[in-house]
Amino acid sequence: MTQLNLGPIFRSLLRNKTGAILIALQIAFTMAIVLNALFIIGERNDLMARSSGVDEANSFQISSTGFATGFNHLNTLEEDLREIRALPGVRNATTINSVPISGGGWSMSFQVESGENKPSTPSSIYMVDEQGIDTLGVELVAGSNFTKTDIRLRDGTQEGWPQNVIVTVALANDMFPELDYAETVGKTIFINNTEPMQIIGVIDQLQAPWIGWNKLENAMLSPEYIVGDNWNRYFIRAEEGMRDQTMRDVEELLAKRADERLVENLRSFEEIREDSYSRHSAMIQILYVVMIIMIAITGKGIVGLASFNVNRRLRQIGTRRALGASKANIVQYFMTENVVITTLGVIVGIALTIGLNMTLVSAFELGRMPWYFLPLGGLCFYLLGQVAVFGPALKASSIPPAMATRNV
Amino acid sequence: MLKMENISKVFRTDVVETHALRQFSLNVDEGDFVTVTGPSGSGKTTFLNIAGLLETYSSGTYELDGKDVSNLSDSARSRLRNEKIGFIFQSFNLIPDLNLFDNVDVPLRYRGFNSAERKKRIEEALETVGLSNRMKHLPAQLSGGQQQRVAIARALAGSPRFLLADEPTGNLDSKMAHSVMDLLHNINAQGTTIVMVTHDPGFAKQAKRNIFVRDGQVSENTLVEQDLPSAASA
Ligand SMILES: Nc1ncnc2c1ncn2[C@@H]1O[C@H](COP(=O)(O)OP(=O)(O)O)[C@@H](O)[C@H]1O
Ligand SMILES: [Mg+2]
Repeated sequence: MTQLNLGPIFRSLLRNKTGAILIALQIAFTMAIVLNALFIIGERNDLMARSSGVDEANSFQISSTGFATGFNHLNTLEEDLREIRALPGVRNATTINSVPISGGGWSMSFQVESGENKPSTPSSIYMVDEQGIDTLGVELVAGSNFTKTDIRLRDGTQEGWPQNVIVTVALANDMFPELDYAETVGKTIFINNTEPMQIIGVIDQLQAPWIGWNKLENAMLSPEYIVGDNWNRYFIRAEEGMRDQTMRDVEELLAKRADERLVENLRSFEEIREDSYSRHSAMIQILYVVMIIMIAITGKGIVGLASFNVNRRLRQIGTRRALGASKANIVQYFMTENVVITTLGVIVGIALTIGLNMTLVSAFELGRMPWYFLPLGGLCFYLLGQVAVFGPALKASSIPPAMATRNV
Repeated sequence: MLKMENISKVFRTDVVETHALRQFSLNVDEGDFVTVTGPSGSGKTTFLNIAGLLETYSSGTYELDGKDVSNLSDSARSRLRNEKIGFIFQSFNLIPDLNLFDNVDVPLRYRGFNSAERKKRIEEALETVGLSNRMKHLPAQLSGGQQQRVAIARALAGSPRFLLADEPTGNLDSKMAHSVMDLLHNINAQGTTIVMVTHDPGFAKQAKRNIFVRDGQVSENTLVEQDLPSAASA
């Protein structure tokens, strides 16, 4: 016959509240911190899971800086691209001024109406050639790609911008909210207030270089080779699974002319991502450590209180056994007592969790915690409590009934 | 009712073996009131613990209510204790955090009675011991004699066949001790078999049978003259 005996257990606890209240508060604080930490971890993980748009697994970058006198920048660039693209294992390559989510790059503002003080939309700009789309691994979803003749040379003295550009769906929607992105092909937009450029194509997705930027999805491809300062960044997309081999081959290829240029910054896209998100990963790790420590301390607290109660009640437990309690009844007593304490902790914990989340929402730009965190979290603390209390409860059940008459 | 034959109980530690009971044999009939006396350390409590299924024994046979209890599981012994046996302890053993009502309730909950049944039994038992107006009091708010009466109510509430008491008056002054003894006699008069360990020769003589234990054995077993029905109030 099983009875929960909640009433007497609760009333008995009321006469010894201090320990129980302390543990309940510990549960409440742990719950508030753990649930909010889990929520932050979830949000960070979501951020980290966002796609950059690039074929990340197969891509890498390398840079070249000529230093020899008489170094011919344009010739070198064209020859490098030709030779890199011809390497076995290379799918495609382009020059690029900066790499998505890498932390450094260029942004400009664009407006749909020419003139001063018109509404404008910011976007990052990637200077690539007509192989840029294939190299990055993005998809052209409307309009057309650049042709070779679109590619403009940007040297130190060059003013202005290319005539034709390609934008992401996000940027198209941002500039023309009332149009379908496909309808933005052919539209003229203005840079530097009044300089016109035409959208000739739309790509599905490509992130800007700055992961914390609120316009992260706004990106534009501008068909240009940067020449004049002898520096180039190459972005290379290897065939599936060939990246590591290709990285070595490309480095070796460019190093052939090491007497006239510096070859450096050979980095896979995955390394670039890891670097960019390293603060997020560190934060996640710290939060995990905090969570584990807090849960461990709370678990220990529950074990401690239960053990203390067992020792305090040796005679009482013996008496209960003498009066007919089975071992299971004794185990059940302590488990039920823990349920009572945990319930108090979870109720206070829910309030604290919501309070802490609301503070975080207003202090940092954190989202609202979904409601199901609370019942699931509460459930976990019930489980934690039951597991923690089981050892002491078992010990209590092994107190012999003769304890009632011995050791008066 | 209770039939022990050649019961031995040996306590073993690493260094010593204590023979608490040796070849202990005793019959207690239904409705009997048996007092157990003997020097300290002679094995009285050990006998009571074995009789009440609180402890196991090393050898011998024990039949309780016609049933051999040698090989019962721990939970079967718990159930038997709960249903057939009421315990009264020298130091009352009330649960300090529970009021009188909840204290008397303890064995009834293990019995699995529903709440109406429990309430009826608790009120009746507390009525019997004259404490029904104190149900919400805590044990600490009562005198020793009152506490022991609560303990008796707790022992009675499950209507046991068998009441075991280990020096129930040992911690009480003489007046309170007498009122507890009166109560026990009344209970015995209602048909409950009682075995009581006592140090008080006067109380021992009031029982129907007196056993003297020495060195873990029954050394005397005397039937007391039953011509003093008013002895209880002496
Ligand atoms: N748990 C135990 N372990 C070892 N020895 C014990 C234990 N319980 C009782 N004894 C010993 O058994 C003997 C009988 O004890 P007990 O039955 O308590 O005597 P009484 O109640 O007559 O004073 C004593 O020598 C006592 O020390
Ligand atoms: Mg004793």
